[in-house]
Formats: sequence, structure tokens, C-alpha cells
Amino acid sequence: MTSSKVLGTFVVNGEPHEVAYAPHKTLLEVLREDLGLTGTKHGCELGECGACTVLLDGTPVVSCLVLAQEVEGRAIRTIEGLADGPDLHPLQDLFAELGASQCGYCSAGFMLAASELLERNPDPTRDEIRAAVAGNICRCTGYIKIFEAIELAAARLRGEQGQPTREMLYGS
Amino acid sequence: MTSRDEHEMRVGFAGDAKKITVDVPTGDAPPWDLDTRLTSVGGRTRRIDAVAKVTGRARYAYDVDLPGMLHAVVARSPHAAGRLASLDLSAVAALPGVAAVIPLKEPGNRVRFVGDPIAAIAAQRLDQALDALAAVRAEYTTEAAVTDFRDHPDAPELVRGEVVGPWPGRGGDEVAAALAAAAHTAEGTWICEVQTHSCLESHGLVAWFKDDGTLEVWASTQATFGVRGGLASALELPEEKVRVHAEFVGGGFGSKFGADAEGVAAARLSRLVKCPVKLMLSRFEDHTCAGNRPSAIIRIRAGIDARGIITAWDYDAWGGPGYTGRGGGTRHNPTYFTRAKTRNSHRDLDSATDAGRAMRAPGWPQGNFAMEGMVERLAELAGMDGLAFRLLNDADPIRQAEWRLGAERFGWEQRRNPKPGTPRDGDPAHLLRGAGLASAFWGQMGGTGNQVTCRIHQDGTVEARNGAQDIGTGMKTVMAVLTAEELGIAPERIRVTMGDTNDPVGPASGGSTTTPSLAPTVRHAAWLAKAELCERVAAALRVEPGSVRCEGGRVIAGDRALGFDEACRLIGPTPVEATGRRFRNYEGYQDSVAGCQFAAVVVDARTGVVRVEKMLAVQDCGLVIDTLLAENQVLGAMIQGMSYALHEQRIVDRATGRMLNGDFLNYKISGPADLPDMEAIMFPVANGKNNVGAAGLGEPPAIAAPAAIANAVGNAIGIPLRHLPITLDKVLAALAEARRNR
Ligand code: FES
Ligand code: FES
Repeated sequence: MTSSKVLGTFVVNGEPHEVAYAPHKTLLEVLREDLGLTGTKHGCELGECGACTVLLDGTPVVSCLVLAQEVEGRAIRTIEGLADGPDLHPLQDLFAELGASQCGYCSAGFMLAASELLERNPDPTRDEIRAAVAGNICRCTGYIKIFEAIELAAARLRGEQGQPTREMLYGS
Repeated sequence: MTSRDEHEMRVGFAGDAKKITVDVPTGDAPPWDLDTRLTSVGGRTRRIDAVAKVTGRARYAYDVDLPGMLHAVVARSPHAAGRLASLDLSAVAALPGVAAVIPLKEPGNRVRFVGDPIAAIAAQRLDQALDALAAVRAEYTTEAAVTDFRDHPDAPELVRGEVVGPWPGRGGDEVAAALAAAAHTAEGTWICEVQTHSCLESHGLVAWFKDDGTLEVWASTQATFGVRGGLASALELPEEKVRVHAEFVGGGFGSKFGADAEGVAAARLSRLVKCPVKLMLSRFEDHTCAGNRPSAIIRIRAGIDARGIITAWDYDAWGGPGYTGRGGGTRHNPTYFTRAKTRNSHRDLDSATDAGRAMRAPGWPQGNFAMEGMVERLAELAGMDGLAFRLLNDADPIRQAEWRLGAERFGWEQRRNPKPGTPRDGDPAHLLRGAGLASAFWGQMGGTGNQVTCRIHQDGTVEARNGAQDIGTGMKTVMAVLTAEELGIAPERIRVTMGDTNDPVGPASGGSTTTPSLAPTVRHAAWLAKAELCERVAAALRVEPGSVRCEGGRVIAGDRALGFDEACRLIGPTPVEATGRRFRNYEGYQDSVAGCQFAAVVVDARTGVVRVEKMLAVQDCGLVIDTLLAENQVLGAMIQGMSYALHEQRIVDRATGRMLNGDFLNYKISGPADLPDMEAIMFPVANGKNNVGAAGLGEPPAIAAPAAIANAVGNAIGIPLRHLPITLDKVLAALAEARRNR
């Protein structure tokens, strides 16, 4: 394989970036290696774990299966663009608050998939959440806190307060 | 002999509290007990590194990118057994981008499994290194190999899933007599398949051998000091010349204790080329070359007396730990057997497959699955409900309380199928519901040999430092909570540093030892720092040192109350610094933690699909340092257990020894679609084992879930399923057989 690179523009988190990159690269590789955006994670490179999920024109895709060349000029959102400046997206806030992010390796993928769900469905049922993140796996959390975080983030985006379900402490 | 002070403390829990006198080593912080009023401890603290994780700023080993960094890959044996006959790497070096290639085996060396490393290549780009693999010329003399422990010559004969053949001869007389005297006896065989750890971040590291002869490493590891030691000895360097970082780690579960052959290879390549070298395993390599939970065959014969008390317990197991032939032992909760004659035998059977490694409660989920399955059968023979039978036999006072609490919260009476194998009222004929339960036992109270630095600066900053890693359990947050508690300030104020071997030595994250080993040290460091802070404040204010104390975010000096920051300004430019140590454990309340879990399932008799509808855990971990972190551990372990019970199985081609499902599509782990309703109830116990009362938590909740689910399936379909994972083919076969026999 030759090392010749091509020049292309990627619009990531609202900003165009001109990048010289090897044309065989996946979007995941360009984001991580050429743009230094390592928040998008590398879990399997086979489209099976969802850790590399980003939004492409608003739709979740597994960036390890997207050829970078095909998405030049299209709107890409990564975890680095989920917060509004210093203000965390409610999903980020609640993933942090509920411990939905343990080792944290799967979190970006889950949050991006969930953010798209909340865009189109402000009040999802648990089954709708299940469907939206069915392509993501997590080895640490047991998922339940991820679901609760998504439900509470939805409530917060709707302007409601919403309280996390508290598990029980014996004697409390 | 260390001197010690007698200390009276109240230990146990609300249902079984007692006063004991313990010997506290002189110099240790006064231990917390049931009567201690704690502020930050037991709360719900947001992980102090959570924002880094949810914003994508957290940097894992896989994310490390250094100027001039090369990428390395490993050439591996395609054969399960034999010898490397010749290895020619000359064509590799000439390829574009390749900077270095090293052999990892010499001709004549054995290859022990498909994937055994034989050479490593570093190139400028990963694709160049991968391309270069094709130029490795290796020849092998191959041998016929056993690739499944069931084919080992010493493996027991299995007929229709049951071991046939003699019981071990040695040491069985007492058990044989107890069996002969029993009112009822039962016998059965249980089988478990290999599970892989499946950490989301694969194994690997970046190694940078520098011009000054030092080696700096960023590793995905659960043992920073273990990796340092491993690399230092492999490269013949003093440990001080090796520095290992692991600030964020994408899971470990027992598979990431060492530098591994791959890590050593990366370090050696870096020494050759004097550039940083990155070597991360692919998902396939991670499944096939980075360890697993060994398979097991377990048979048990047991007896009960007329009252239903277990009087005989003969446990005989074989483990399948892969090529090392070691580490396949299984374990089970001993608290049912205090009135039984017992015997425990085990043999490991080697096979030409990747070696087993510790995996979350090594050996326990296997052993408890078999044990709780047999207990279920014994309950049936006694004509008792499974819960009542356990209450009768379980000698653990903590679990006695947990069984009752859990059963009530779970709705055991209502969920248990009184007529196993038949649909509940209102359900269609093909839906079979049932409930099961199982115990968890763990005996880790932590050990000595670590240190923690606590530093208080004059601007009010408080630091707590230890060189061990936080693999996602929240250890950094545990350090913050304990330091904050001791100093009477908020946990968010503590700056915690972990994951750098230049800091004081800490434990590996394994065996649920990290918290009980480190927590008392963290507290000791903060307690010492507090004393010095108070002394300096007293000196500055010219009051009696004994009259100064930290409380509620303030420093009280006689009749004056200073804000914490205000007080810190009095300490001067040299920070207060204290090094905490870990004293040995005290006698305490009990040497083990107890837990139990309940599961409700629905089985579709047409498709064989098992759905877990509800899981509930009650778990003791000594003092609950943070409720949120503790629940997180329990809930995650429950789903890993469910995944083991229903889905996970490494499939190896018996002829070639190759793993056929080394990816996440064909090796299924539980996903969001499988999620049941879940509840975790933390059951705090003042165990009096150390100054905090901390005990291990990572492993125990992983032990009960598979057994509870298997028992629930048995209750639903009326047939015990004794081979994990309980996939739909097994359910359908069992139902078909039951129909034939009807
Ligand atoms: S890395 Fe893309 S799906 Fe796993
Ligand atoms: S938090 Fe570790 S994989 Fe999800």
C-alpha cells in the first residue's frame, strides 16, 4: 500500500477541517488519528460493539465501517461536540451522575446513539430506548443505569425535573 | 512484634450487632464501627473522573499517540500444537515502513495454541505492519492436539451429560459413611463452557524506551506495578527505570494483570528503534490470546438427613484452563455445609488452547452454579421450598438476614412457580415462568503492603495519591470520599491521582482486594495529615494542639471556627504531607462477605428462548463507602453473570484448535435488548476488619447470578438444566426429552 494521501474536508462538530489522510482510512481512523478526536472509541472495528458510534447528518453510524472518503463534507458529530461549550449535554450530566459510565469506554457511543433518539423522540419508552442502543454493548454497567440516564436526560430536555430511582440501602 | 492497643468496637449489623475488643496496631487510625457517624461515606458521589469520561477527554492506552510513534503487530502460530521448525524474518525488514522485526520464539520452541506469538513487527503505520505479517516465513512440525478438555485422556467419561466412573478413592470414607446414613441422596453433573473477558478496550500498551535508558509505558492494565515488574524483569532493567501509566482503563475483569508477551515485545521493539511503539490487540486477538474463564465439569453427590440438613457433600471437579494446565480450579460457598462431612477433589486437564486467566471471582461462578443446582435438588428431596431449605442450612448470619430481605423485596412467594413445567394462571400455554435464587460468598478483606500520600496545600487543595489504577470501579472516587470524610470537607474538593507508578505503591485490581487494601491506607494518610494540619494551625494561632479539630468543612480551634481554606493559609508554603500505611487486619466480626440473588425468567417453550424478567441482589461489602459506586459494581456483575448463564461460549474447532466465534457478533454478550428489571440492595456490615471496615465487592455479585438464573429456568420448565450457557437448543432438547418421557 502506498503512503500517498488525499486532501479532504470533514465537517466535524460544526467546523470544517481540511485533512490530508490515507484514502483507505475509515472515518474512525481519520477522527482519531488525523483529527486527534480520541473520544470516539475503538472496540472491535467490525461494526459489532457500537463504541465508535458518531452521528452522520444526524444519524448514528458505526464509524469503523464508514469509509472516510465517502463522508467528506457531511456533518459529523462526535462526543467532543455533544456539550454546548462548557455546558454538558443532559445525557453527559446524567451518565456522570448515575454511574452509567464506569470504565467509560462505551459511553461516547451510547450517548451519541441516545442523543439521536432524544432528537426525534423527546419521551421515549424503555423499549424505544432499548431499540435505539441495541447496537451498543457495555461490559461494566449492566445497562440499567444507562437506561435510567437516558430517561432522565429526556425528562430534563423536556423541562421536567425527574428523579433517579434510588436502589435500596438496607436499613435506610 | 508490633505493639497494639486494645480497642472496643460495635460490629455486625442491625440484626446481629455485638461489642468486640480488637487489637489495633499502634499508629493506626481509630477504627470506624456501627456507632461512627459518617458524612460523606455512604452517599452518592459522582465519580470524580466522570466528566473526563463523558466528554471524551479521558485518555486510555488505545488513545495514546506520541510523536514518531510506530505501530506493532504480532505474528502468531496457526497451529495448536507442535514446534517452530524454522523462522525467516528477512523478507519482513525490507518491506515499506517496517522499522524493526523481532522473533518471539526460536526454532525448536513449542507452540502451544493457535495464536501463540512467534514474532513482532513495528512499522510506521499499522497497515504496513499488518501487511508485513504475510512476509513472515515460519515452518512448523505439528502434533496432534487435544483442543477440548473433554477429549483429554484423563477426562471423565460423560454419558448423556452425566459423569460415569469411579469417585476419587482417597479420603472419602467419612463422606461415604455420611451418604450411607443419609435419609435422601442425590448425584449429578454440571458443565460450564469457556467465557472470555471481553473488555471493551482490548489489551495492549504503548512503550517508549528513551535515550536515557528509561522505559515509559501507557498500558491498559489492572496492575500498574505488575506491568512495571514484568517489563523490568523481561528487559533486565531496575524497576525504577520503568514508569507505567494507566489513568483510564477500558475494563479488565482479571485479564489485564501482566505486560504479556505482546507488551514485552512492544518494549523490546522500542528499545531497538528508540521510538514509542504502540501494540494493541485486535478484537479477535483479544478473544483468542488474552485469557478466559476456564471450562469445568463438576459432579456432586450429597445427602440430607430427615430434617433436611445437608450431612454429606462430595464435590469432584475437572477444570479446562488451556495450555498451562493450571488455574482451572472451581470454588463454592461453604456456608451450607457446616454440619456435613465434605470432600473436595479437583483435577486440571490441559488442552492446546489459550490459557485461562483470573476472571471476576475465578472458579466461583462455575462451582456455585453446580452447588446451588444440587442444593435445589436436595430441597426438592426434602420436600421444601428452595428458600426455606437454604434458611435451614445456611450458617452465615449476614446471609440469613439477606435471604429474608431479598425474598420479600423480590416477591419470592409470588414469583416461584408452584407447578414447574406448567404455565402460570393467565399465561399462554407456551410461556413458562419460574424463579430461582443463589448465594454468594467472598473471603477478601484486603492486605498490607501499600501506601498513600495525602498532601494539604496552603491554598486549600487536598491531594490523595496512589500509583494503582482505577479500572472503572471508582477507586479514585473512593479515595476522595474517604479523604474528605476524615478532613470534614466535600469529596469534590479532593484531587486524586491514580495510575502512575511514580506514586506510592498500590495493589492490583483483582480478587476484590483493591478497596479493602487501599481504603484503610487512604484513611490513615488523611488522618495523619489532619493531625499535622491541626498542629500547624494550633501553632499559628498559639492554642493547645489538642483543641483543634476538623469538622463540617471547618477547622475548629478552641472557640474559633475557621473555614477549611482559611485554616490552610496558616500552614505556610510547605504543604502538609503524610504517608499512610496499611496495617494488618483485625479479628473483626467475620472473615467473609455474604450476598444472595434472585432471578425470575420466562421461557418460550416454542423457541427455547429464555428471558430474564427481574433480578435482585442483596450484597454485603462491609462498610458501603459510596452507595452509587457499590450499586454500580453489583448491577454490572449481575448482567455479566446473566451473560455467562445464557449466552457466552467460546467455540473452538476441535480439529484445528481455532476459535470460531472470536468477535462480538458470534460470541454474544448480553446487550441492552436483554436487560431485565434490576435491583441492587446494599447490605452494610461493620466488619471490624480494618480502620474503615471495607471489604471486597467486585467479585461476589458475579458469583450468584448464573446459578440463580439456572435455577429459575429449572423452576420454569420443570427440568434442571446443568450445562451453561443455557442456549435455546438446550432448552428445546430438554423439553423434547421431557415430552418423550411423559
Ligand atoms: S469499533 Fe466500530 S462497532 Fe466496534
Ligand atoms: S462502562 Fe465499561 S464498557 Fe461500558
